[in-house]
Amino acid sequence: MESTTRTRSPIVELRGIKKNFGAVQALRGVDLMLNHNEVLGLVGDNAAGKSTLMKVLSGAYIPDDGKIFIEGREVRFSSPMDARREGIEMVYQDYALADNLNVAANVFLGREAVRLKLGPIGVMDHHYMEQETKHLLKRLKINIASVRLKVERLSGGQRQAVAIARATAFDAKVIIMDEPTAALSVAAIEKVLDLIRTLKAGGASIIIISHRLEDIYHVGDRMIVLRHGRKVHDSPIEGDIHEFRERAVAYMVGARDDFREETLA
Amino acid sequence: MTFIALTRKLLRENIREYGMFIALFVIMGVFTITTDGVFISSRNIVNLVNQTGYIAVLAVGMTLVIVIRHIDLSVGFLAGFLGAVAAVALVFWHWPVYLAILFVLGLGVLAGLLTSFLVAHFGIPSFVATLAGWLGYRGALQLVTRNTGTIIIPNDAFNAIGNGFIPDIPIDILPEMHKLTLLLGLLGIVLFVISEVSNRRKMQSYHFEVLPREMFILKLVFISALLGAIAWVLAGYQGLSWTAVVVLAVVLIYDFITTKTVLGRHIYAVGGNPEAAELSGISVKRITYVVFGSMGMLSALSGILFASRLQSATTTAGTLFELDAIAAAFVGGVSAAGGVGKVTGALIGALVMTSLTSGMNLMGIDISYQYIVRALVLAAAVIFDVTTRNTGK
Repeated sequence: MESTTRTRSPIVELRGIKKNFGAVQALRGVDLMLNHNEVLGLVGDNAAGKSTLMKVLSGAYIPDDGKIFIEGREVRFSSPMDARREGIEMVYQDYALADNLNVAANVFLGREAVRLKLGPIGVMDHHYMEQETKHLLKRLKINIASVRLKVERLSGGQRQAVAIARATAFDAKVIIMDEPTAALSVAAIEKVLDLIRTLKAGGASIIIISHRLEDIYHVGDRMIVLRHGRKVHDSPIEGDIHEFRERAVAYMVGARDDFREETLA
Repeated sequence: MTFIALTRKLLRENIREYGMFIALFVIMGVFTITTDGVFISSRNIVNLVNQTGYIAVLAVGMTLVIVIRHIDLSVGFLAGFLGAVAAVALVFWHWPVYLAILFVLGLGVLAGLLTSFLVAHFGIPSFVATLAGWLGYRGALQLVTRNTGTIIIPNDAFNAIGNGFIPDIPIDILPEMHKLTLLLGLLGIVLFVISEVSNRRKMQSYHFEVLPREMFILKLVFISALLGAIAWVLAGYQGLSWTAVVVLAVVLIYDFITTKTVLGRHIYAVGGNPEAAELSGISVKRITYVVFGSMGMLSALSGILFASRLQSATTTAGTLFELDAIAAAFVGGVSAAGGVGKVTGALIGALVMTSLTSGMNLMGIDISYQYIVRALVLAAAVIFDVTTRNTGK
């Protein structure tokens, strides 16, 4: 993976991120780097701090300490909208879709195209939003009969696809996916993994949180393991899947730790 | 596909949409037969429309409140109280009509904002917050009318809102008919046909699925005939009432806002999934303020319509309006789960409920049985909603 011709420069850098919830130290100074056009797998046991770290990056949590850099520039997020403005999009585990609205409405939720402004009230451009959604689904090879279908009519895999499509619709720099394959059928998982490959081929930079190590192995370029709020491992994904899995599990359960010295120092 | 099979398919796929129209037709048909045509007479229909007015505007606002998963029990007495305030402003303060109306509408918005402050800011369940409003506005209504009892409003302009009709064109053709009403009906049909045809052309040019040609023509003919019939019936008495004009304006404006604007989209998004809406950058608080604010304004409008219709403000005005409005909203297809329901449905729902009352009154049915029949219709509407949500499209 290191041999790729694309220049490897960091698009996101987190330095020394700390976050406490009362007496619980959820994150104890985590560093994370994501390069341009890289798929990074973030793994760890329950309560390792994966979701907390990603919520810091997506603006849902404000860190107690540490710095966030986007393309080398320091940023501060106080809400998900701040992060969104910097091109950081999150795909939530429960998809965060409005079931009562159709596919196009969900893709453009909160960012509706307006064709006429009547004072504070904007008149929507339905046609533009539907056409754009059609093109988007086509580009991502997502198979949904009509952009006018209500989301409640879609299968689990289709809903995940809509959630991912929405995250990519507005020139996102970084897409964070929280357990994108949890609660999906085997066939649907394959489709979502294909979708992630399509996104990467299109130049996207992606962070995936997943319990399913084989998913990380199949689409990821690099893996970071968190344990008890610390980074314990950071390496390219290589070798055969059994060796990879053993390595990941060893770090997840605490049998190995690459950064112990640094933190104790 | 044969024509009948096609019709059945369309009916099946759109049963939720057409269900309440069919119900309204059946109810009106039954009453027309049982009352030997009195029900469908011009005079009764005009009365029916005017009786529906003050509930219909509440039902429109209530639909949006229920869409965002709340409820507002305070609207009845708020309407009564604000109607009394309007009467006081006209009778004791000698304010001009337009000023009194604007003042009361403004108070309504403030009352709605107060409710949403409790709901959105403190997180008080709307049921409790508006129950407090129900008590408070009831007390306020009694305070305002305590010294005077019923306040008679001797103002022709104000009373015309609830009792008057739009003026006619002074020409000598069709002396028995209200010409302007017929003209407006014709205009409505023409605008409807033009917008449907251009919409269909646009859809076809984008390669979206449209109704087959013969079904489309049938729909145009059917709805045009319906509009024409309504205009004809109304024109046979004194024409379009001012109440009908007010209600139509409210429904058209709210329909436009809910279906065409970003604000409307956000209201339905908040109803469908508040967390997702918030994560998408939609302020659930702001939407709550807007929806309850509009509900307060429509309560004021309802109070004005009712006071104007009675030409007075009474000590019990607004009693149980909130429950009629909620029932009308549910009959009109709003879903208690949130996110689903149209303002046009609220109008149909209100018409269904008032038609039941009016028809049963004409038949001389005991008021006790009337309540039971209305209970059955309400229950049937909600059962219909729940069962078609899972099976139909």
